[in-house]
This record gives sequence, C-alpha cells and structure tokens, in this order.
Amino acid sequence: MLKLIQIEFLKLRRRTFVWIMMFSALIMPFLAYLLFKYAWDTGGDPVQFYKWSAFGLTLFIVLPVVLGILSTMLMYNENQYDMLKQLWIVPVSKMRYFFSKFFVVLIYSVCFMLVTAVGSVIFSILLGDIAFDWQNVLFLIRKCLEIGVITAFAMLPILAIATTQNGYILPVAITLIYAFLGSIIVSINMYIHPLSSMAVIVARNGDIPGLNNTQVISIPLAFLSIFIWGIVSVLLANVALARRK
Amino acid sequence: MRTLLWAEHQKIRRLSFVWIAIFATVMVAVIVFLSGLTDNDGIRDIDTIGWYMAVAQPLATFFVLPAVIALLGSYMICREEQENTIDSLRLIPVNEAKLTIAKMIITLVYSILFYLLLFAITFFTEAALHFSDLSIGMVMNFSKAYFLDGICIFLAISPIIALISYMKKGYWIALVITEFYSFIGLFTSTSNTLKALYPITAVFTISGYYEASTFQVMLSCISLLFCVGLAAVTLAGMNKCK
Repeated sequence: MLKLIQIEFLKLRRRTFVWIMMFSALIMPFLAYLLFKYAWDTGGDPVQFYKWSAFGLTLFIVLPVVLGILSTMLMYNENQYDMLKQLWIVPVSKMRYFFSKFFVVLIYSVCFMLVTAVGSVIFSILLGDIAFDWQNVLFLIRKCLEIGVITAFAMLPILAIATTQNGYILPVAITLIYAFLGSIIVSINMYIHPLSSMAVIVARNGDIPGLNNTQVISIPLAFLSIFIWGIVSVLLANVALARRK
Repeated sequence: MRTLLWAEHQKIRRLSFVWIAIFATVMVAVIVFLSGLTDNDGIRDIDTIGWYMAVAQPLATFFVLPAVIALLGSYMICREEQENTIDSLRLIPVNEAKLTIAKMIITLVYSILFYLLLFAITFFTEAALHFSDLSIGMVMNFSKAYFLDGICIFLAISPIIALISYMKKGYWIALVITEFYSFIGLFTSTSNTLKALYPITAVFTISGYYEASTFQVMLSCISLLFCVGLAAVTLAGMNKCK
C-alpha cells in the first residue's frame, strides 16, 4: 500500500498544476487580511480573523473544490492513457488502487490546510491588530488539521464518482454542486451532507463562533453521516472498478 | 465565419457537456430553492415574492455558472489540440484566431442560454407558488437581468478563455481561476466602489441586481470593456505568433 502511495506521489511530481493549486490555500488568508485591514475590525480577537481566513469559506468552498479537482485529475490521468489495464495485469488490487488515490487526497488536504494555517498566521501578524500568541496558533493548527483530515473523507463521494467516469467534466461539475450544496444546506440540516457534518465536528463546543447557532449539535450523528457517505462511496468505487476490464 | 459557427454548433450538439451544464444549472436552482425553505421568524424566504428569482442570480454566479461556462469555452478550444483535430484544421487551412472567435461566440450563446434556463426555472417556480402576486414589470425586469447576466458573465470571463486558447492545454487552470475569480466577488460586493469595478460584481451593477448610480454603471461598463480588450489583445497575440 505504501508503495502505491509513493508511486502516486512520484506521478504527481510531473504535474506542476497540482502544486500550483496549493497556492490557492493562501487566497482566503489574503482576502481576510484585506477585509479586516480596510472594511472590518477584529477587535483583537484572532478567532474572528481565523474564522474568515481558515474556517469559513475555506472549509465549505475552497478546499472541497480543490480536492474535487485533484480527485478528478488523479482518476482521469489513468483513464486518459488507458493505464488501468496494465495496472490490473501487474496485478494491483482494485481497492488498494482506490485507497492509494484517497491517501494522496488526504495528504494533499492536510498539507493544504497547513499552508492555510501558515498563511493565516503571517497575514494576522501583518494586520497588526492581533498579538502573536502560541496558544492561538496551536488552536489554528489543530483546527486546520481536523479540517484537512475530515474534508478528505467528506470528498470520498467525488473520488468515487470520478472512478465511475472516463471523462472529467461530470465529476468537476458535481464537485461544484457538491461544495455549493454543502455550504447552503448548513442552515437546513447539518447532518445530510458530509461537508456540513464536518462543520458540526470542527465547530464543536462553540470553537468557531457563528458557524452554527441554531441546530442541535450531535458529534456522533455528524460522524455517522460522513461514515455512511464514505461507505456508500467505497462500494460505488468497488463496483465501478470491478466493471472496468 | 458563418461556416465556422455552423461547424462549432454541430460539434457541440454531440457533446455530453451541454447536458452536464444543464444539470448543474438545474441543481443550482434546486439548492437555492431548498435554502429558501428555512424559516425566518415564521416566514419562509421562498414565500417572499421575487426572492427566488433575485437570489438565484448571485448564488449561481458566485459559485457555479462562470466556472461551468469557462470550462465549456476552454474545453471546446483545448479539445482540438488534445484530439489532434487542430492539425487537420490547419491543413484546410482555417484561421485559428477566427476559429477561437467562433468558439467564443458559441460560448457566449450558451452562457445566455444557461442564465435564461435558470430564469425559466425560477420564474415557473415563483408562478407555481404565487402566480397572482407576480407583476409583468417584475418578471420583465428579472428576465432582462438574467439575459444581461449571461452576456456580461461571458465578457467577464472572456480573458480567461482567451488565455486558455493561447496556452492550449489549460482547461484545469480555466476552471480553478474562474472558480476563484467568481468566488472573490463575494468579498468585493461588500464595497460600493469595488463591486462596480470587479468584473464579476460589475455584472450585477449592469444587470440591475444592485442598485447603482450612473457613475457606478459606467465604472462597471469600463471594467467589462477592459476584460473584452484584454481578451482581444490575447487573441491578437495568438494570431501574431502563428
């Protein structure tokens, strides 16, 4: 398994776009910096700044879209050059193949959120309003790691859909819809969609103010939602890969 | 040019992409409808006259439609290079800049059609919910706004499509850039000057979604013209390189 993951990363080395995409991790910290510099005031509260730079739209839109595109690219490359036949001949277990892709997404997601955390700290220092405090930085890193890990699991349905398709357009379109639905459905029911369920877990104990003020918080239910979606996705990927000759 | 447009139209008819884009537009409408079902002090947003038609425009624009339209445009352009059909076209010979312009015109037409589809869905839903409360003036205003959204969004993203046609193999870049480009509009909409200047939000100033002064409308027109100019310069540069 480790060898498969290593091979996946070796393949990614040649795809500069994947690494360029990592820079989008700095978009939200930069926008939050501009917003608090010229329009709003943090009142010296670092969590207010981090909410915009790392926890808000990064959680619902930026990271899911980036991971959706990455998942699609990972699956599309092999389909495009008809590499799957050769992989099955080696032979590579179909589920191992799927999970090697998933681990790449997971590691990328964690790295993406760490870059966001570093960007948030740098821009919060540049802002000048917020005093540098290790406790706040550790809180930010802990939450970013949580988001990074759970989002990868929440994106399993997109990875599974990308497995079923030869092209990239449908998975990419579904990624956009999926992220959009995740951000909208928060106000209706947080436990239907994996991304909104993730928000419940990340914002537990009122850690992130304003993320959920109306609904009853149930962490087990949120985990159950992500787990069910994950299991269904793995089954779908299993069926799709089994059909591929 | 007419032949090129006809050929592009014939090619796009066979693409599943158009159906996927229609699916994305319908899904956006469904999601916005779902968000309107939440209670605000006992009143659901969806029960407010005109709410659905008004809110679907910015949400679809900030999150989904520009990326889908840019992907369509860049896909049409990059596909020729990817499937090596561009070599046959060069042998005919076809002027590549004209070919790109034809593809961009088709993208513009589809951009308008996607927005009009969104309008049709929102209008028929509003009509089903409270037909007697809708006025002709309001419906005409919204239909005009959606039509202008379709045109202006294409103009706003035209530099990205032109850039992709210059780079040839960059449909992923088109998607990512356009998604963030439209998404940043959420932030620029907080400032009066920025929302008139930033191309994505300038679309709403022109279409009438934002209440704007004549000066702001002029700023928005200049902003979109700048986008068109940028796209034209890129295409001209491409033609020179050949």
